[in-house]
Amino acid sequence: MKRQTMYMRMITGSLLRRRSRMFIALLAVAIGATILSGLVTVYYDIPRQMGQEFRSYGANLILVPSGEEGAFDAAAIEGAMRSVPADDIVGVAPYRYETGKINEQPFLLAGADLAEVRKTSPYWFVSGEWPDADGSALIGQEVADMIRLVPGDRFTLTGTDTAGENFSGDFTVSGVVQTGGDEEGFVFLSSADLDGLMGDGGRIDVVECSISASSDELTDIAARIGEDAPGVSPRLVKRVTESEGAVLTKLKALVWLVTAVVLLLTMITVATTMMAVVAERRREIGLRKALGASDRSIAREFLGEGALLGGCGGLLGSGLGFAFAQLVSMQVFGRPISFQPVLIPATMLASVAITAVACLLPVRSATTVDPAIVLRGE
Amino acid sequence: MNILELNDITKDYGSVKALKNVDMTLSNGEWLAIMGPSGSGKTTMMNIVGCMDKPTSGTVMLDGTNISEVSAKNLTNIRRDKIGLIFQQFHLIGYLTALENIMVAQYYHSMPDEGEALKALERVGLRERAKHLPSQLSGGEQQRVCIARALINYPMLILADEPTGNLDETNEQIVMDIFRQLHRDGSSIIVVTHDPEIAEEAERTVVLEHGKVTRNTKNAVAGSRGGDEKNV
Ligand SMILES: Nc1ncnc2c1ncn2[C@@H]1O[C@H](COP(=O)(O)OP(=O)(O)OP(=O)(O)O)[C@@H](O)[C@H]1O
Ligand SMILES: [Mg+2]
Repeated sequence: MKRQTMYMRMITGSLLRRRSRMFIALLAVAIGATILSGLVTVYYDIPRQMGQEFRSYGANLILVPSGEEGAFDAAAIEGAMRSVPADDIVGVAPYRYETGKINEQPFLLAGADLAEVRKTSPYWFVSGEWPDADGSALIGQEVADMIRLVPGDRFTLTGTDTAGENFSGDFTVSGVVQTGGDEEGFVFLSSADLDGLMGDGGRIDVVECSISASSDELTDIAARIGEDAPGVSPRLVKRVTESEGAVLTKLKALVWLVTAVVLLLTMITVATTMMAVVAERRREIGLRKALGASDRSIAREFLGEGALLGGCGGLLGSGLGFAFAQLVSMQVFGRPISFQPVLIPATMLASVAITAVACLLPVRSATTVDPAIVLRGE
Repeated sequence: MNILELNDITKDYGSVKALKNVDMTLSNGEWLAIMGPSGSGKTTMMNIVGCMDKPTSGTVMLDGTNISEVSAKNLTNIRRDKIGLIFQQFHLIGYLTALENIMVAQYYHSMPDEGEALKALERVGLRERAKHLPSQLSGGEQQRVCIARALINYPMLILADEPTGNLDETNEQIVMDIFRQLHRDGSSIIVVTHDPEIAEEAERTVVLEHGKVTRNTKNAVAGSRGGDEKNV
C-alpha cells in the first residue's frame, strides 16, 4: 500500500469516524463559505439588479428635437431607438405639451402614451387608476387640490387649438398622481386625446426613455443616437445615473467589509475548534510521535484534515450560499439571480485556504506535544 | 554484548529527583523486569530508554549510540527504528481499525504493508478482528493489537510499561504467552510491573526506590525455563 493511501485513510478516518467533533468545525466552515459565496454572488448580481432597480426611478435618457423645427415625429424616434438593443429598452414615452383651462384656470396639458409613462416613471404614486382608455385623464395632485377633483369626477377642458379655434372636451379623472415634482401641476391625457383636441396630426416635444444599461453603456448609446438619428438630440439624465454609481460603490464596499468580517469569524471559529481538537487528541499525537512521527508528519496530517474539512465545508457552503443569495435577491430586489458554476471550485478553494490558515496555530501546538505523555498515561 | 547501558543517570523534574545516579545494563536478547513502588521512577526510566525524554545528566548508550547527546529529530528516528512500545492504556487510535492501527506504525517507519500487518494480527490471534475499531475490542484484545503494533517494525528493544496492569487473569496469561514467545525468538524486553509473578518470568529484576536502584538480581529459575513456562 502506498503511503498516500494510508495518509488518506488516516485523515478521512479521523473526520468520518469522529463525526460529532468535526461536525462543529464543518459547520463553521460551511457557514463561512455560505456567506462568502452568497455575498460574492450578490456582489456580482448587484450591478445587474441595481441597474434594473434604478431604472425604476425614472427615465435615464431623454430625447429632444434638435435643429429648427422644435418637434419631431414618431418615425424619428423609431429611428433613434434602433441604436438601442431591443432587450434593454424598458420604456419609451413620448410627450406633447400644450396649455388648456379648467373652470377658466390655466393648466399645463401633457399628452403621452400613458402605458409607457407607467414604465418610465414607475415611482409615480397614483391614487385611483392609471387611465386605460381615451377620455380619461390622470391629474397631478396640485391640479386636484386647486379645482377639487377626485377620481371618478368629470371635468371640461377648454383652450385654443393649432388652427386658432376654441376647443372643448369632457374627461373623467381616473387617478391623481403624486410624484414630488413638477408633474403634479400637469393634466395627463392620452396622445390621441390631446392630438384630437388640438386638431392636428400630432407632435412630439420630448421623449423620456428608460434603458437597462450601465452609465458607460448609456453614454455609448447616447453618442450613437446623436450620430445616427437626424433631428434627435439625446440627453442623459445625469442625476440618476450618477447616484446609481455612487450607491453601487458604497454597497460593494459594504459587501467586502461584511465578507472580511465573516471570514475572520470563520477563521477564529475553525482555529478554536481545531485548538480544542488538538487538545483532545494530545494522547494520540503523543502516540504518533512515540511511534516515530516527525513534527512534519504531524503537521501534514492536521493540515490535511483541515483541508479536507475546508473542502467539504466549501462544497456545502457554495450550495447553501446560492440559496442564501437567491433569498436575499428575492427579498431585496424581488428577482431571481443566475447561478455561477465557477463559484463552486472558487468557494472550495477559498475555504481550504481559510481553514489551512486557521489551522496553523493549532498545528503548531500539536507539534509541541511531548511523546513522553503516552507512558505517563495523562 | 550490551545493547543498553545506563551510566550514572539522573533525571530532575524541577525540584523532584525522579532518578538518582542510576546504572543499568541490558544484554542482547535479555528479558528484564523493573519493579518498584509508585513514583519510584520506573516510567521516567522507560521514557529515557525509549528515546522520549533525555536525562538531566549521565549517558545512555543504545546499540552503540549515546542517545543523551543526539538531537530531538534524531531521537525520533532512533525511537522509530529501534524501540517497540507497549502501554498500560494500550493507546490505540480510536477512529482507526485494529489493522490500521498497526499500519500507522508501518507508515511512520517505512511503508504501510497490509499483508504484514495482517500477519502481525494473526500472531496475536486477532486476524478475524482486523476491521474492528478499538471500541469493539476487549481490553485484552486491545493490548494484543498494541503488542502487534509494537512488534511490526522488528524493534531491537521492546519496552512495556505495566502491560498487564489493566488486564484480567486470562488476558494477562495470553499477553505473557506472547512475551515468552518473543523472548524465545530472541527479543530484548524490558517490562515494568507491580506484579512479582510477572517479574519472576523475566531473567533479571531491577528494583527502583526513590529514583535509586536498590536491587539488581538474576531470577532464580530464569533461563532454565525458556519455553516450558506454559506447562507449569
Ligand atoms: N513531567 C513531570 N513533572 C514533574 N514531576 C514528574 C514528571 N514526571 C514524573 N514526575 C515525578 O517523578 C517521579 C517518578 O515518576 P514516575 O512516573 O517515573 O514513577 P513510576 O515509578 O512510573 O510510578 P507508577 O508506578 O505510579 O507509574 C514522581 O515523583 C513523579 O511525580
Ligand atoms: Mg509509571
